[in-house]
Parts: sequence; structure tokens; C-alpha cells
Amino acid sequence: MKLFKKILIANRGEISVRIIRACQEMGIKTVAVYSEIDKDALHVRLADEAICIGPASSSQSYLNIPAIISAAEITDAEAIHPGYGFLAENPHFAEACMTSGITFIGPSPENIRLGGDKAKARQIMKRKGIPVVPGSDGPVQDEEAAIKIIKKIGVPVILKASAGGGGRGMRIVSEEKDIEQAYHMAQREALAAFGNGDLYVEKYIPEMRHIEVQILADNKGTVIHLGERDCSIQRRHQKLLEESPYIFSNPRFRKRIGELAIKVARAMKYRNAGTVEFIVDNAGNIYFMEINTRIQVEHPVTEMITGIDLIKEQIMIAAGELLSYRQQDIKFSGHSIECRVNAEDPERFVPCPGRITTFIPPGGPGIRVDTAAYSGWVVPAHYDSLIAKVIAYGKNREEAIARMRRALKEFIIEGIKTTIPVYLKIFDNPDFLSGNFTTHFLENNNKTVK
Amino acid sequence: MEIDEIKQLLELLKDTDITELQIERDGSKLKIKRERFMSSFEIAPPVKSAASAAAKEEARKAEETQRLVTITSPIVGIFHRSPAPEAPPFVEFGNTVKKGQVLCIIEAMKLMNEIESDVDGVISKVLVENGQPVEYGEPLFLIEPT
Repeated sequence: MKLFKKILIANRGEISVRIIRACQEMGIKTVAVYSEIDKDALHVRLADEAICIGPASSSQSYLNIPAIISAAEITDAEAIHPGYGFLAENPHFAEACMTSGITFIGPSPENIRLGGDKAKARQIMKRKGIPVVPGSDGPVQDEEAAIKIIKKIGVPVILKASAGGGGRGMRIVSEEKDIEQAYHMAQREALAAFGNGDLYVEKYIPEMRHIEVQILADNKGTVIHLGERDCSIQRRHQKLLEESPYIFSNPRFRKRIGELAIKVARAMKYRNAGTVEFIVDNAGNIYFMEINTRIQVEHPVTEMITGIDLIKEQIMIAAGELLSYRQQDIKFSGHSIECRVNAEDPERFVPCPGRITTFIPPGGPGIRVDTAAYSGWVVPAHYDSLIAKVIAYGKNREEAIARMRRALKEFIIEGIKTTIPVYLKIFDNPDFLSGNFTTHFLENNNKTVK
Repeated sequence: MEIDEIKQLLELLKDTDITELQIERDGSKLKIKRERFMSSFEIAPPVKSAASAAAKEEARKAEETQRLVTITSPIVGIFHRSPAPEAPPFVEFGNTVKKGQVLCIIEAMKLMNEIESDVDGVISKVLVENGQPVEYGEPLFLIEPT
């Protein structure tokens, strides 16, 4: 198996540490890139080589394509892993790597482009017979077109930015009379956030669960799925907690949703790791929502229940290896939950950067912590506020929850505020414990959870 | 020294890296020593990082003691002293340079980027070698401004 000799990780924080670990286990040398403010970051210390690529500002460092490609050139890195966020879903970056003779560890630029054009992806999947949420066929031309769709499918609807992501650029319209104002506001927001004002319309399903499926595809076109993750616990469309399996999953449901995900991947000739997102309504109907053309934050919960190292699989696929698993080889065992611990005020969710004076992560059976933080480290204000991911694994959901509760109580982080208190409340909430929740969980449980 | 003053000093100390502070005033002496939890990293920092940290430190000291100006690299790439392989270097030790004058080339993604001087002055030291990879912020030249 001829893998890469050296990989450059074009990212920072916990995901860069994650990737470095996989490389070290595979005997692959690592190059870290860092902005000036990250010079004491953990990923810089752990990598074999580290190159400073710019000042603190993301646009001049972690989003700086020439600096990153140049860093790969001067260190003779053969491949670049983009992690998630930053340049991971930037098709120009994937292309720039290819032009420079560097392997981009991820899907093709075409896959990334389609994944980033949510309206078009919906359109294509609809034509392939994959159920999508009723709505517009691609982006709407203007508000008249939006009104036409609303008359056809009925309110409530949600206006979404075609070039959007991360839960931004969305607006729910509950009454027809509000459509004009909502349309203009959503368009302005989309333009400002993503540089593209295209909107599409979807029927808004109030009682819905966000269920996503992890897929892997090799360069020969073989696609397998690694089960579903329930990411319904969200705040303002940002995921707070993820678990696998979906509490109401069963072999038949998993087969149904898994095969749909594989169909989506085949429809776009997808390569490497990806996640297909679906909406599941009260009646158990499954609708395609979008495809995420990257490794995701919550990939560890899938790793825990399948025993498969997704980062290693990404590296092997990128190196030209064919998948060593067939679908029937993938076994699901136990239950896993992930909590994202952010450096934020647990009441108002406002970022609280600063120096971590004491950092004692939890341990013990069934607990995994993915983090780049350490005692004495200063959380910079310039990047996202994710400090650590706590992943609990148990033989069933009850054990996973008990372990997570224990772990969160053990976790000592002093010097900054974190969102651990929010999770402790979630794990005492009867609706969460019984699985009786939708994407509105946090709003509905405002008093008890927030 | 009043208790309040001492409290203020302790508060100030808390957010710094200082482990020992000694103050003498009006005949009284105050010494504060702090046991800092040093995370003992068995992992050595990467070689490139250590070398360039040393170079940055040297440049910083030179700046302070001799009032020299450091020209640092604004990009990642390969340092070239001359416009072409056989050509003479742009500048040598002792050369007088003007603000805006090209000091070197840094090659990145097959493009040659000219690096200009920020000041008028004399080249005091060339800190990197021809063909050496450089990172963002790497000290390249020390210039004695005129």
C-alpha cells in the first residue's frame, strides 16, 4: 500500500490534531500550518514540521490559498487534508492543489461545487427520483415566483440561501403576507454572508428530525454508508449534540436511509468521505436536504459505533486505495453521543475567549475527548469557539448518556466560560432522555435547558 | 507598602507569565514568587519552528540593542538572493539601500515576488541563505536605518 510520505493539514484546532494523529498512526509525516497567534497551538507542537503562513486574520492565514500551497511546496508535502470549515469546501482550493500536483484529500472540485449549490443539488436529486422536501425547482427568480410556490405547497415555508451553510441565510415564512419582506431580507443576508443572493423555497416541516448519513466512496465509484446520525438538537440551526444511531432507527430504517444516501452519492459521482443530510418527519418520511462534501465535526460518533477510522479511510481513498469494506462488512454496535464544548457564555452563547488556567479533560471507560486545548493555552478570539468534543460510547443509549453525564461533570475548564452547563441540563431533560425531540428542542425547553 | 497596593500587584501578576517579582521602595522590599504549573511537554517543538523562533528572537534582540530594522517575509516561499541563478545578489552586507529597493525574491507557486526595503539604510546582516524556505514573518535582513 503506497500511501503519502507527507501530508499538510490546512486547518487548526481539534480537527488538525485529529488528522495528525491518523497520519502518525499510518507512518505519514505531517506539516502543520499556523497563523502568528497560533504559534503555541497544540497542532503546531504535534506536527513534524510547522510553517507560519500569516497573521491572525483567517483571510490572510487559514483561508490564504497561495500561502498554504506554497507551504506544501517548500515542505514537499504530497497531499493536503483540509479538515472542515476554512477551505474544505472551496472548489478553487481543491483545484489549486490539483494544479500544483498536490493531492486534495476529499471529494472532487465538481462534487464540492454541487454540494455548495444547494438549490441545484435538490433539483438534480429530484430528477433522479430521490425524495426531496416539496419546494422550488432550483433557485427562485423573484418574489412572484416564490409566492407561486407557496400557493402550490402552502405555508409554512422556509427560504434558504442557495450558497448558504452552517444554518445561516434561512428564514421561515408562516403566512403568505410575510413573503415579500422575508424574501428581501433573506436575499440581503445571503448576499452579505455568501456573496450570492440566490434563494430557494422549501416546505417547512415543523416537527422534523435532522438525520444524516455518513458515506465513503472510492475512486472506482464504490459507495458504502456507515449509518445515520441524529443531529436534531440544535440552536439557531447550529448543531449542539449528535448521536448514533438515531433512537428510533432499526435495520429497515437504516437500510432505507442508507440506500438513499448511496443513491445521492452515485448521482453525483461522489468521491471520498461525505455526509448526506435528510429531514425525517413525524410520519417517518425521509426527504433529501443537502450533501456536505467534507469530513464533519461529528464524525467520531460514527467511528465509535462502527470501529472504522474515517480520517484514515479518507487518506487511503485519496491515495488511490479501493474500499476494503463491502456494505455487509459494516457492523453497528452500541450507542455514541457527542457534545461540542464551546468557549461561550452558557446563558447567552456569546464567545468568551481567554486564557484557560486549568484544563482537566474527563476519561474512563467509553469516553473520548477530541481537543487542541491545554492548561495555559489562550483561546484566540479570531476563530470559532469550539474547545473540545466529548464523545461518549456505551452498549446502549442509557449507558452512553450515563457516561456522558459523568464525563461532563468531571471536565474541569477554568479561566473561560464554557457551554458544559447547557449539556448537563439537556441530559436531565425527560424529552431528551425519551427521544421525544425535534429540531425545536432547545426553543421548547427554553426554561429548563437555557 | 499598603495591603491594597500589594493586592493590586497580585491581581496584575495573575494574568502574566511573570513568576518572580521584586520591588524595593522607601526602604521596604517586597518579593513575590509564584509556582507556575509548567505543562511538561515531552514533545519537542518541530525543528523548523524552533529554528525560526530562534531567528526571530535574534532579530528582536538586535532590534532592541542596536536599533536595527528587521525586514520580514510577507509570504511563504523560497528565498533567492539574486534575480537569476548566475546573477550577483540584489544586496550584500554593507550596501546602502533605499526605501522601496528590491532586496530579494521569494518564490511561491512558481511566481517570483520582489521583496522591498521598508527603510533607507545599510544592510547590517543577511539572516537567511540562498534557496532556504521561509515562512510568513521570517526575518530576512537587518538594516541600520539612516
